[in-house]
Amino acid sequence: MADQGAADPGNNNNNNKPEASEGTIIKVTVKTPKDKEEIAIAEDASVTQFKEEISKRFKAKQDQLVLIFAGKILKDGDSLSQHGIKDGLTVHLVIKTAHKSADGGSTSASSSASAQAGSSSSSGPSTNPTSTAGSNSSAAPTAQPPNVLSGYGDLASLAGLGMGSANFMELQQQMQRQLMSNPEMLSQIMENPLVQNMMSNPDLMRQMIMANPQMQQLMERNPEISHMLNNPELMRQTMELARNPAMMQEMMRNQDRALSNLESIPGGYNALRRMYTDIQEPMFSAAREQFGSNPFSALGGNSDSGAQPSRTENREPLPNPWGPPNASSSPESGGGTMGSTSTTGGTNPSVSNPLGINASSLGNGMFNSPGMQSLLQQISENPQLMQNMLSAPYMRSMMQSLAQNPELASQVLMNNPLFAGNPQLQEQFRSQLPVFLQQMQNPEALSVMTNPRAMQALMQIQQGLQTLQTEAPGLMPSLMTGGIPGVPTGGSVPTENPAPSPSSAGTNPSQQQQQLMQQMLQMFAGGAGGGSATTQTPEVRFQAQLEQLSAMGFINREANLQALIATGGDINAAIERLLGSQPS
Amino acid sequence: MDFTTRHNIQLYIYDLSRGMARNLSPIMLGKQLDGIWHTAIVAYGEEFFFGGEGISSCPPGGTMLGPPDTVVDLGETEVTEDIFMEYLSSLGESTYRGDRYRLFEHNCNTFSNEVAQFLTGRPIPSYITDLPSEVLSTPFGQMLRPILDSIHIAPPGGHVINGGRNM
Repeated sequence: MADQGAADPGNNNNNNKPEASEGTIIKVTVKTPKDKEEIAIAEDASVTQFKEEISKRFKAKQDQLVLIFAGKILKDGDSLSQHGIKDGLTVHLVIKTAHKSADGGSTSASSSASAQAGSSSSSGPSTNPTSTAGSNSSAAPTAQPPNVLSGYGDLASLAGLGMGSANFMELQQQMQRQLMSNPEMLSQIMENPLVQNMMSNPDLMRQMIMANPQMQQLMERNPEISHMLNNPELMRQTMELARNPAMMQEMMRNQDRALSNLESIPGGYNALRRMYTDIQEPMFSAAREQFGSNPFSALGGNSDSGAQPSRTENREPLPNPWGPPNASSSPESGGGTMGSTSTTGGTNPSVSNPLGINASSLGNGMFNSPGMQSLLQQISENPQLMQNMLSAPYMRSMMQSLAQNPELASQVLMNNPLFAGNPQLQEQFRSQLPVFLQQMQNPEALSVMTNPRAMQALMQIQQGLQTLQTEAPGLMPSLMTGGIPGVPTGGSVPTENPAPSPSSAGTNPSQQQQQLMQQMLQMFAGGAGGGSATTQTPEVRFQAQLEQLSAMGFINREANLQALIATGGDINAAIERLLGSQPS
Repeated sequence: MDFTTRHNIQLYIYDLSRGMARNLSPIMLGKQLDGIWHTAIVAYGEEFFFGGEGISSCPPGGTMLGPPDTVVDLGETEVTEDIFMEYLSSLGESTYRGDRYRLFEHNCNTFSNEVAQFLTGRPIPSYITDLPSEVLSTPFGQMLRPILDSIHIAPPGGHVINGGRNM
């Protein structure tokens, strides 16, 4: 065939030129089931001429040739251009063989023979998992997979395995039932080297966990979890636990003991319990809703308890290393009282409690301590807390004295973990200080503080930063350049979602950092200018609209905000967006 | 005299995972796959597909998979049945022998795509042909690759055209 090709083109060209009537030569690919050749032919040639070329090239008689293009059979009387055959296109060719008609009769005879021959490579409907596993193990190097996974051997035979139900819920329940009735199954699955392999790869696990939308939701509400997930050491430990039930039990026992120690701390226990329930319940329900045999269910329950030690230890340093003036600090450091909402006057210990914790975790970066996070959580859920704290009389006087004494204020603020380790930010803040303090007394700014959505947004930023820290530790210091003024913060900040952050961390880190800076500074410093909308965060701008939307029943604040930002505050358009994006 | 019979060509799409892929793929692969697609071309009253045994045919919807999940009309062709059978037998002797089956690179969907282009000039929907690369681009898919490569999908219920070439 190759020889043909070498010899002919010269002839073809020579023949074509005199025949073609000033047509350009186009190259058409002619494809047979077994072969493919490129034929040069005049653009306006007829099918007959084309077939002549082809018969030379393919060594077949012209009347044996059947040319097909775009589903049409090219008849001799047609021209190539009539069918739209242009340069570079492919025409299919079938060469009729004389004894083709005999094939139709012989297919049935040969099919039965081949069916028997073929049955060894596929499994019949009478599902034999062992046979498929057998055929698999001969090819695959891994050990024979247990019952569940042997279905991979022949997906078509899954129906036979009893998983034929197309209804996923049913299927899931079935699996769960099977698991419940057969505890061996779970350990079997665990022992499967495939699963073990999977579980020893923390990146994969994290990806899998984070890809689950329920987990994502959970992580938004409880940043500790994302913290936990992003800590590879912790992940590995947790996976070890999941694999080894005995170890898990031991760990649980330790947890319980540690927890019981906490009860003796005033105020701490209540908050702890509340937070525990906050996290534990959604975790478990999310885990339960997943695939029953999903080892993540164990992981889910475990990760929660896994987070316990880091939290409980942080509670240890209760004594207040901060002097009374420091009790105020900047509102976003989350100075919310723990558990005691209305007791304002002499609550220095409880107010400083969280700060005490934060002191111990200084250097972890912004908002990184779980204690801080849970506080922010609380605050965002309970704006009342913030309100109360800020309106406390002693708070007021504190603010005033701070405003009058910039030295003190700067000291306080600089010590705040928010700015710890960020000298540039400190500089920035210092310069903004007087304005900032003014703002503190401005009720408008205060209302922003109490805006739960604002707090949520801040939390999300913080989550993103956390992820950043673990994903790209080298990135953090280099990003602290103080931000570029006027970087539009807008929509991407509140919508920053920690779940897909492994992929987005690489793209948005600088934006996040800058946005955080810009947002805060603008919020406080720019607000004095008559509340100009341009310097306020979208949440503040759209506050009225957000409230309207939530009154209408759109409870997903994040989606509302996104929609509002996208439509520039137009409620009707935002509603359409929301409705259009409702998951079906 | 210019009358040419036109035959309607359809693509039968089956989800081999029976809905599991739609639900599990986000967890397992990290991306949403709506199904694990197996396709077959239905023409001239018969269903043709490529599997571990080679090119097979059966009455439409006659494999163990049952009726298709989706049917796509690929258009019409002037190709007659005997030309088509000739074409198929040539294919079955060359690139679509039974032993040429590769789950990721040369599978039933590759066959359906090629036949569809032969008959109608148009390929099959890209979400089907993109499936192997979608799966392989996830870490999970990469991990499972050695196992999956050894799988030959051959829905029982068809008889092989030009069989006897399982070498």
